[in-house]
Amino acid sequence: MIRLATDVGGTFTDLVGYDERNGRLFTAKSLTTTQDQSEGVLNAISASEAADGLATRDVTFFAHGGTTVINAITERKGVRTALVTTAGFRDVLEIGRGNRPDLYNLQFKSPEPFVPRHLRFEVRERMDAGGTVVLPFEEADLAPIIAACRAERIEAVAILFLHSYANPLHEEICVRLLAAALPEATVCASHAVSRQWREYERSNTVVLNAYVQPIIQRYFERLERALMARDLTCPYYAMQSNGGISTFDQATARPLTLVESGPAGGVAGAACIGRILGESEVLHLDVGGTTAKCSLIHEGRPTLNVDYKLEHTRIAPGHPVQVPVVDIVEIGSGGGSIARIDTQGRLRVGPESAGSSPGPACYGRGGTRPTLTDALVAIGIFDPDSFAGGTMRLDVAKASEAIASIAGPLAMSVEDAALAIIEIAHASMINALKLVTVQRGHDPRDSVFIISGGAGPALASRLGRDLAVKATIVPPHSGIFSAWGMLAAEPRADFRSTWFAPLSHEALAALAERFSGLEKEAATYFAKDEDVPIRFLYQVEARYRGQEHGVFVGFSAGDTVESFSERLHAAHERAYAFRLTTTPVEITTMHLEAVLEGPVITLPAQSPAGRTLDAAVKGERRVYFGKETGWLPCPVYDRLALPIAQDILGPLLVEEATTTSLVQPGQLLSLTENGIMVIREAGRGAR
Amino acid sequence: MPSGQTIIDSVTQEIIEGKLVATVDEMGIVMARTSMSPVIYEVLDFACGLLTADGELVAQMNGITLFTGTFGVQVKALIAQFGGRLADGDVLLTNDPYTGGTHACDFAIVKPLFVDGEILAYAINVAHYLDVGGSVPGSLAPDATSVFQEGLRLPGVKVMRADAFCDEILHILAANVRMPQIALGDLNAQIATVRVAGRRMAELAAKYDADVVKAAFAHLLASSEASARAAILALPDGVYTATDVIDGDGVTDAPIDVTVTITIAADRIIADFTGCPPAVAGPINCARGALQSAVKTIVKALIDPQAPSNEGWFRPLDVLCPPGTVFTAEKPSPTGWYYEGSVHASELLWKALAPLKPGRFSAGSYSSLCVVYISGRDDTGAPFIHIEPQHGGWGATPDEDGAGALIALTDGDTYNYSVEVIEARFPLRVRRYALNVEGGTGAGRRRGGFGIIREYEVLSTEASAYASFGRTKTLPWGVDGGAEGTANRLEIERHAGGLDVHGRVAHLDIARHDIVRIVTGGGGGWGDPKRREASRIARDVRDGLVARELALDVYGYEEAAS
Repeated sequence: MIRLATDVGGTFTDLVGYDERNGRLFTAKSLTTTQDQSEGVLNAISASEAADGLATRDVTFFAHGGTTVINAITERKGVRTALVTTAGFRDVLEIGRGNRPDLYNLQFKSPEPFVPRHLRFEVRERMDAGGTVVLPFEEADLAPIIAACRAERIEAVAILFLHSYANPLHEEICVRLLAAALPEATVCASHAVSRQWREYERSNTVVLNAYVQPIIQRYFERLERALMARDLTCPYYAMQSNGGISTFDQATARPLTLVESGPAGGVAGAACIGRILGESEVLHLDVGGTTAKCSLIHEGRPTLNVDYKLEHTRIAPGHPVQVPVVDIVEIGSGGGSIARIDTQGRLRVGPESAGSSPGPACYGRGGTRPTLTDALVAIGIFDPDSFAGGTMRLDVAKASEAIASIAGPLAMSVEDAALAIIEIAHASMINALKLVTVQRGHDPRDSVFIISGGAGPALASRLGRDLAVKATIVPPHSGIFSAWGMLAAEPRADFRSTWFAPLSHEALAALAERFSGLEKEAATYFAKDEDVPIRFLYQVEARYRGQEHGVFVGFSAGDTVESFSERLHAAHERAYAFRLTTTPVEITTMHLEAVLEGPVITLPAQSPAGRTLDAAVKGERRVYFGKETGWLPCPVYDRLALPIAQDILGPLLVEEATTTSLVQPGQLLSLTENGIMVIREAGRGAR
Repeated sequence: MPSGQTIIDSVTQEIIEGKLVATVDEMGIVMARTSMSPVIYEVLDFACGLLTADGELVAQMNGITLFTGTFGVQVKALIAQFGGRLADGDVLLTNDPYTGGTHACDFAIVKPLFVDGEILAYAINVAHYLDVGGSVPGSLAPDATSVFQEGLRLPGVKVMRADAFCDEILHILAANVRMPQIALGDLNAQIATVRVAGRRMAELAAKYDADVVKAAFAHLLASSEASARAAILALPDGVYTATDVIDGDGVTDAPIDVTVTITIAADRIIADFTGCPPAVAGPINCARGALQSAVKTIVKALIDPQAPSNEGWFRPLDVLCPPGTVFTAEKPSPTGWYYEGSVHASELLWKALAPLKPGRFSAGSYSSLCVVYISGRDDTGAPFIHIEPQHGGWGATPDEDGAGALIALTDGDTYNYSVEVIEARFPLRVRRYALNVEGGTGAGRRRGGFGIIREYEVLSTEASAYASFGRTKTLPWGVDGGAEGTANRLEIERHAGGLDVHGRVAHLDIARHDIVRIVTGGGGGWGDPKRREASRIARDVRDGLVARELALDVYGYEEAAS
């Protein structure tokens, strides 16, 4: 029986299938269809049927990741959305937080809200922070709102009332009345998407959820119809931003949970590789064409970002949303990133990218500016003849010519300039990798480093050495790792809610009770009896009194004030380097992570037959390692023929269809029986 | 194996600069997430920076423009004070307004970062403390007439030696502030940030060698200076002037006339404030450090707003002003509300230079942070202090309408306070948080942005308030035929009946259910309102931002029959 995943990226739609009966793997690629992404998905399925004989009727599980949600938001192509909110507060969505991160720009403006002022309506009602009704819901206020929504042909209505995280009663009444009066519109209340406080962030969350809801609904309907027409009938799952999957119906109710669908697949895959290797601390980097994304897996689980913001940069406030999103730090360095010399004479790499068209200069499709890929060709890491499995011949002369355009002004040789480009991309990746580890209180030396994406394995061993990680890992299927990761993801839901109490014996007892209430909610969400295997993880955000932000720590039903406090002190110290043992502790947020256990992809053991070093050698190539070391001859191996569990000393290159890995001098490469490549420093010995 | 040394300078340079920005940003994250004061963690009223061993700023987080010029002056003052008597593990504390600081509430924590027994750099963190003692809760009496009413001053002391706290300083601090637990919590948070900086700089020095790092600092400053000089050279030489009025000093409402003369000569800028009046009785004076910040903010906006800031950009700049003026106050002139004065120094430059580069400027804004303090005891008897800067309307630009509800120039990455969080923490209920549509904005081909209205109902029996609002009479200027913006004001609506209106007010008794209403103004317009496109006017009318009568009277717009 086949488990199938499709990942729609910016350029390509990737397909990975895994036959549980015999371990057979199907892979295919098609061009992404931007108008309706489901067409590209079906094209990939057709390609796999034609090339490898994929039988859709044998598919028993289908997971899908895509960019429909994020595209609708970034291109501002959501539906006509209205907002209904507490009287006195309709401008909250427009005011935002009023911050001006672009400090010296006297023409700065906050981002435009997704609902214009004339579609933001007010209703008299009020709760206080404790969830007590201060002013009852004024039903009569809805009549003119309903009339206006009809006149304006509103397709989606978002509802945000103050303190609904503490008591959703008024939102519930309002949803019921509006849904009945506006059958043609979707109606969505904030408490159904987020149970956290901060009215602007929750408004923005429910507004964006409403803004994309009809679009994702129609998209899933189209995709389902098309899959059924292809005889592919099985449960359909969507890849969520939290690193888990949900059914199409669940995703339609909260489409904003799909906002970082694609990258989350890679994170799920990295967690799975970590599990197979028995490593709970994993640092993951995926190097794509335009950007690189890194994330941390701690104690075997992807880390979630506590304040995720769309379109946020150092100088743009972005749009905060309160949905669980894996903590991904994205930087503008990828294979297509363009190198240039700025006005102050400094060499810069990215964020501008050559993309896939014209692409790097070496693609010979008209690109003339030097990219990271050109640099990797120029110093010998990428083989012009075998790139992309030999399907695309690279033009070394064009790469060198492009790099010469910056080498001249820098007074460097072409190979030194190429290395300089790599060095700069490398440094920004290190900064990002440190952001998710060191700056969050995690030591990269405790982690293994998993790298994926087309250009990733070429840079992996250098990055791993600089970070002094336990080992650098190049997983199988590195070039289609996000899609592969979707087959490693399990159904997951996160229940996070603001709940405030000073730490006490009673508060801990109340927490335990609230968590068991959330467990029931989780069981209902998965529509399962309570005895199905749901894996729960209990986390509580706590802080020192006076602080606003806390740290998340584990919670167990047997916790005492002492045991819980000690855990908080330790977590606070790890994150921020100090503890305040005499300051009272407060609980602010509870978070239940619920994972429905089910089968996931495994990496079958490889047969050792025919795998020897001699069989694996394809040839030799010279690679440039800098002025001091110069050019070194490196043997080139075929990944598919590498012997199992045999240490091979670098420098060396390993080629496979979608990527090339470089192993540095002084490093040892070894292949596990599951086909995972592990790179370690020779001096430190193998485990 | 490629390594840093084999790569020519420009690459190492780029890498080290990236690391500097990453370090100051990391300091900021640690501060925001561990601080105890809402004014720090919610409003982000703090900033972090890295300076050379000579006290020249090389990197600064995106915090607050006010600290753009103060870091360097403060660190240089400490270097002069301590000379060679600094050791690894020392951490310094200063909040002296007259040696590069701002007001006593801003605590600067400075750590010399030693590598191999030598100072490689200084890390600084300046944060606004909730209370540092003095005559009123929150320490900022709007009618203070001397610095001695504005709280404890610690003008350059070692708060740590050999990485251990000096208990005497902690005892002095705890005994002299109203909320010692919060102050000590914030001190811990600040120290955590400069320690982070120490670790990162040590990593950098270990990788590239301290001399390479120092060379990178020098090169960064020199290349920023070169960019600045090139940008100034491209501006027309000449003498540019502007005048403005500060609306009262907190002691009296008398207008305070201020002026600047700017000379652009080849690649230099001279900002001369000679002619400004002597320091006033009330606390809207600023000292020379804050004046430097105020001027540098606009120079950076003029030259290159987005490039990371450092001292190099300001080497072509001279700021002239005799001592003892409203912008160069000296001990014991009060400076508690210094930003109410210093913002006018910024705006004088802004107003004078805007015609030189309209693509970088906007018309006048609401300017004043309109800070309100509400303090008292809740019904359990626990004391509270709620401080909040307010957002307001900015001026129009040649191309776009002004920004609404944005924080004033003197702050920066400064957030408003979440209504839900306030209500969970203080005995306050927010009745309304909205754009100040009724107050209007400066009309123009591009109109100003709207201010805000924020209404607090006080839910405790024991409460009082004070505030200091500027631009209550002298309105934000319009440009090129655009109209002036509108005024800021504080209203108190008494539960017992009656409404009073204030600007700078030292003390207001507040009864339960009284309403404190903060109203900030709209920005100035740019261009003739009669030239505004019908589509823009129609959109404003539809959004309820401009009344139909106003559309007709001011913009000459008659709606098509519908």
